[in-house]
Parts: sequence; structure tokens; C-alpha cells
Amino acid sequence: MRAWPRSAANRIALVAFLAYAAAMFVLGAAVFIATHAAFAQQMDVSIEATTNALQGELRDDGIKGLIEAIAQSRRPGPISLGTSLFAPDGQRISGSLLTSMPAPGWQSIVFADPQEGPDPARAKVTLLPGGYRLVVAADLESLESIDRTILEMFGTAFAVLLLLGIVGAYSLATYLRGRLAGIETTSAAIVAGDLRQRAIVGPAGDEFDRVAASLNAMLDRIAGLVANLRQVTGDLAHDLRTPLSRLRNQLERLRATKVDAGVEELLEGAVAQADDVLILFDAILRISEVEEGSLKRAFGILDLSHLVSELGETLAPLAEDSGRALVLAVETPLQVQGDRELLSQAIINLVENAIRHTPLGTTIRLLARPDGDGAIVGVEDNGPGIPEAEQERVQQRFVRLEAARSTPGHGLGLSLVRAIADAHGARLKLADAVPGLSATIHFPRRIDL
Amino acid sequence: MRILLAEDDTDTRQFVERGLGELSHDVISAANGEDALHYALTEDVDVIILDRMMPLLDGLSVLKRLRGGGVTTPVLMLTAVGRIEDRVDGLEAGADDYLIKPFAFSELAARIQALGRRASPASVATRLSAGGLEMELLGREVRREGKVVQLQPREFRLLEELMRNAGEFVTRTMLLERVWGFHFDPQTKIVETHMSRLRAKLNEGGRADAIETVRGVGYRIRST
Repeated sequence: MRAWPRSAANRIALVAFLAYAAAMFVLGAAVFIATHAAFAQQMDVSIEATTNALQGELRDDGIKGLIEAIAQSRRPGPISLGTSLFAPDGQRISGSLLTSMPAPGWQSIVFADPQEGPDPARAKVTLLPGGYRLVVAADLESLESIDRTILEMFGTAFAVLLLLGIVGAYSLATYLRGRLAGIETTSAAIVAGDLRQRAIVGPAGDEFDRVAASLNAMLDRIAGLVANLRQVTGDLAHDLRTPLSRLRNQLERLRATKVDAGVEELLEGAVAQADDVLILFDAILRISEVEEGSLKRAFGILDLSHLVSELGETLAPLAEDSGRALVLAVETPLQVQGDRELLSQAIINLVENAIRHTPLGTTIRLLARPDGDGAIVGVEDNGPGIPEAEQERVQQRFVRLEAARSTPGHGLGLSLVRAIADAHGARLKLADAVPGLSATIHFPRRIDL
Repeated sequence: MRILLAEDDTDTRQFVERGLGELSHDVISAANGEDALHYALTEDVDVIILDRMMPLLDGLSVLKRLRGGGVTTPVLMLTAVGRIEDRVDGLEAGADDYLIKPFAFSELAARIQALGRRASPASVATRLSAGGLEMELLGREVRREGKVVQLQPREFRLLEELMRNAGEFVTRTMLLERVWGFHFDPQTKIVETHMSRLRAKLNEGGRADAIETVRGVGYRIRST
């Protein structure tokens, strides 16, 4: 699983979960507060009612009747009420509520519980005629116990719901990632050059399916355009090749007949020009062919060190004749999955480039060596190199640097090397060899036998 | 030689017919696959030039039917698109050589010559001799007028190809294919460079040039 902040699916799930948890909490708190308030109010109503009843006793039967009523008033109920009557001098003259004389009005008092010691209570103190004070109080313990019960119930429910929330959030994240992964995998394959990949469109027709469907439609369109472009490029090169080679052949035939030396020279030049254009068309067609990736099926296991050694033997005389030295740096064994001819061509192009674009006396190293799980093959020279800013550009078609204007070529050599590397799932890397240029093909995997 | 030319494109067919006629070959032409198959089965020819794309029956099918029917006449396939897969398919179906259109006529002519020669069973020899050169294939030894010439492996293979086709031109492309196994044009002077080294070694001591070069055609070693 990827890191939390990097995954939108995880973030969405997290936000949904937090909202859900907050809603649960708010709901619980509201229930608690409402229950608490309702119960406290009920408590006050009871106190009020009892106070009124006792005041009635006082009116009807005088202070004696009140004292009697207080003595009998300890009745059982959900809310246990305590009552006391204080004389004007502060003396408790009736009732079981053990407390000192409070001031009149609603208030919280502390009374001495015979079993539990000091206990808080809600009390109403009424000033009676004659300076007597009537205290009616409800033990807050019953309220607290109800609060506790509600909290416990709610806590358990919250924990269960939280757990459900976590499971839900995890499922949501997994689902979202799963749906997105399908689209992402397709996109990655397309970026890697496989335009035939399509995202899977589910039967539900939901947003994801619609995104996948429009991605596919977009890909169909792009693939169509690319195919069209390739077709046009290929057809153009191909169709021009036929009349051009007829022209070339006719010139050749004309040259074979007896003509003046001057005409012969002109004909020879014309044939050479035609050949040059034919070579260019062949190079374009070759790159298209390699880029199409249809060659992949023929890739077998290839002994890279052997191939490079052989090419070194073939190319060393060319370097030598041009006044450069080609040295081999090959480590064995080195096997990759690849096509012998394509890789030969890539390596020849790299060596040829090194010969063409370096001064006399340059040493060109042709190398093949393991690299982690992969392999590297390529050339390094100690010539002037290519500025870093230009290194990406020279891999594009028809790009030739200012310094190379005077040398022959069409600027397709490195494009072909790059296309060949891509077809192998490898990467062409240009780098500063300090001094000089290093142009290497990096294979991600090698095959151990 | 008697050559069967199966090609549906009129321009190409006429161009090849005329060229082969100038080289004194006897050409039978077919413009579709069924005619080609018919002539290949009924006429006695030395080499068949078979275009891959033809109406009625494509070249590959014609080739498969011929090989399936036990006809071993050398076949040169022509194809419009130089795809590696097509070449592999063609060779698997029993083609002896393969040429991508458009081609220079000299290339076709050299390949036809080589194919006609291949039909005669001379390739089992262990010793080749031409133009004052002796080549021992098993001992990998080359002598010129009795004197041993030391050659690098590639130079030896180059000379071997020339001596196997002594008296005929061998093109640069044929050498790339046969000596290096390259079915592409590397656009670099591989053949020229190695050929010039081979030539320098053979001609050491001021002897006459053993290898004849014709620009745009190829290399040849004299047959005598």
C-alpha cells in the first residue's frame, strides 16, 4: 500500500471516516446532554412539588403538622428526596437530611449520607413564615448514576461503530484504489509505448466505468492518429522509394552505356544523391518498424558479451583507419533478452557516432557489464562530449548539433538506437564521461543461466 | 540460366526482364501466383524469383506448395516491405534468399548468379581454389602462389564467400548477410574496411590485385 498522503483513495476514506466518527460523537453528546437536562429538570419538578406539598401541610396544620409530615415524607421513588426543617436559630428541628442551615433559594448543598459520607445534592430552601426554613434536596448521585449509565452505553456503541467505520473506510479505500489501479495500469502500459492496452470497463456504468470508457475512447483516437501518422510516414517513404530506385536504376543503366567522362561524372553524382535519399527513407522505415514493437516476439536469449566482443573485432579496424582507438571492456557472462541484429545495429550506431564526432586520437571504450539486476552496453569516449542541455535533444529525429553540420548523416542514428532500446524495455542514457560522452543502453534485467 | 519471374507489378517485371535478358538469361514471366505455380511445376527452370504479394495466390503460398510438392529449385523472394518477420516467414517456408524492393538491379543479378551456382553441389568441398589462391576450409589456411597468408577470422570468411562464388560478383549486402549475419545496412564501412585489409594481405609484396572491385556492383575474385 502506498503512503497515506499520496493516495487520494486513502484520503477520501479517511475524511469519510472522520466525518462519520464526528457525527457519532455529536449524536452521542446531544443524547447525553438532553437526557441529563431532562432528568435534572424532573428532579427540580419533584423538589418543587414536595416543597409545595409541605407548605400546604404548614398552612393546614401549622408547624406541628409540617414536622409530622416531614417525619413521614421519606417515600421511595426513582428520585430519593431528603427534607429538613430548620428553626430560625439554625437548629434542625425535623427531617433526616443532615446538613447545616443554608441560605434560601435553589442551590447545591453537601449533606452527610449515613452510608457514604458527604454527598452533593440539589436543594430548594424555602423561607417559611416565622423564620423557619424548609430544605428539600435530591441526592445528585442518582443523576450521576444515570449519566454514567448513558456514558457507558454510548461508549460501547461508539467503540463498535468506530470499528465498523474503520472496516468501512478500509473497504472504501481498497475499492477506490482497486478501481483506479485498473485505469492506472493501463495508462502506465501506454506510457511505456503499448498503445493497444485498454482499461477494463465494468458492467455497472458508474463514474469509474465512464472514466475508463472515455479513457479508452481517447486511446482509440490517439492510436488511430498514431497509426495514421505511421502509415503516412511509412507509405510516403515506401512509395517514394520505388520511383526513386527506378530513377536510380535508369541512371545506372545510362552510366553503363558509353558516355562522355563529364556526363559519367554527373550520372555518378546523381546516383550517389539518389542512394543518399534511399538510405534516409530506409532509416525512417526502420525506426517505424522498430517503434511499432512488433519485433518483440522474436526476442530470444542473447549473449551480450559475446555480441559486443564480436562487434569490437568488426569495428576496431574502422576506428583505427579513422585515427581513433577502440578498446573493449567486456565482462562475462552477460545475457539479456534481445534481438542480435537490432542490438548490433544500435551498438554500431553508437560506435559510428563516437568515431564521427570526436577528434583524431580519441579513445573509444566499447563496454558491456552487469548493473544491479540488469546490464549496460554502450560506448564511452574521451572526446569533447555533448553539453548536458543538448543530450536529450540529440536523441530526437533529424536533430544534428551545430558541431556536426560538416559530418555526413541524417541525424537518425541515435533515434534508431533509442527506438531499439525502447523495444527492448531498455533505456538509452547519454551522460558526461568526464571528459567525453558516455552513450549507454541500460537493460533492466539480465538473464542468468 | 532459365529463370521464372513471378511479379505482378508491370514496371518492376519489365525492368527485371530487360536486365536479365541483357545478361543472356532466359526469362519466363508470370503476373499472378497461379501462373507462377503452374510454370514452376511444368517448366524446367534454374532459379525462381517470387514476389511476395501477388493476385490469386501470394508468393508465400506458391513457395509452400512448391516445397510441399518436393520442388527444390532455388527461390529468391521479393518483398515490398522489409520487415524482419516477413523475412523469417519466407526463409521458414523454404526461400533460399530474400530481397527487399526496391532493389538495385546489380544486387538482384548477383544474387541470382549465386543461387544458380548453389544449385550445383559444389558447396561440400573442403578446398577452394581460384585466382591463384588456395583455401583450406578445415585447416583455415590460405595460400597465394604457395605462400601462406595470415588472415583474421572475418577476412577469412570474406575471402571464402568470394571464392565460393569465384568468377561472379558478390555484393556488399550479400557479404553483410553471410559473413556478419546482418540483414540490415549498418551504414558504415564495415565491408569496405575489412575488404581493404584482406586485399592488402593478399597483395603483399606487390602482387597483382587478387580481388576485383566494381563500385555499385560488388567484389569478385577471378575464377582461374
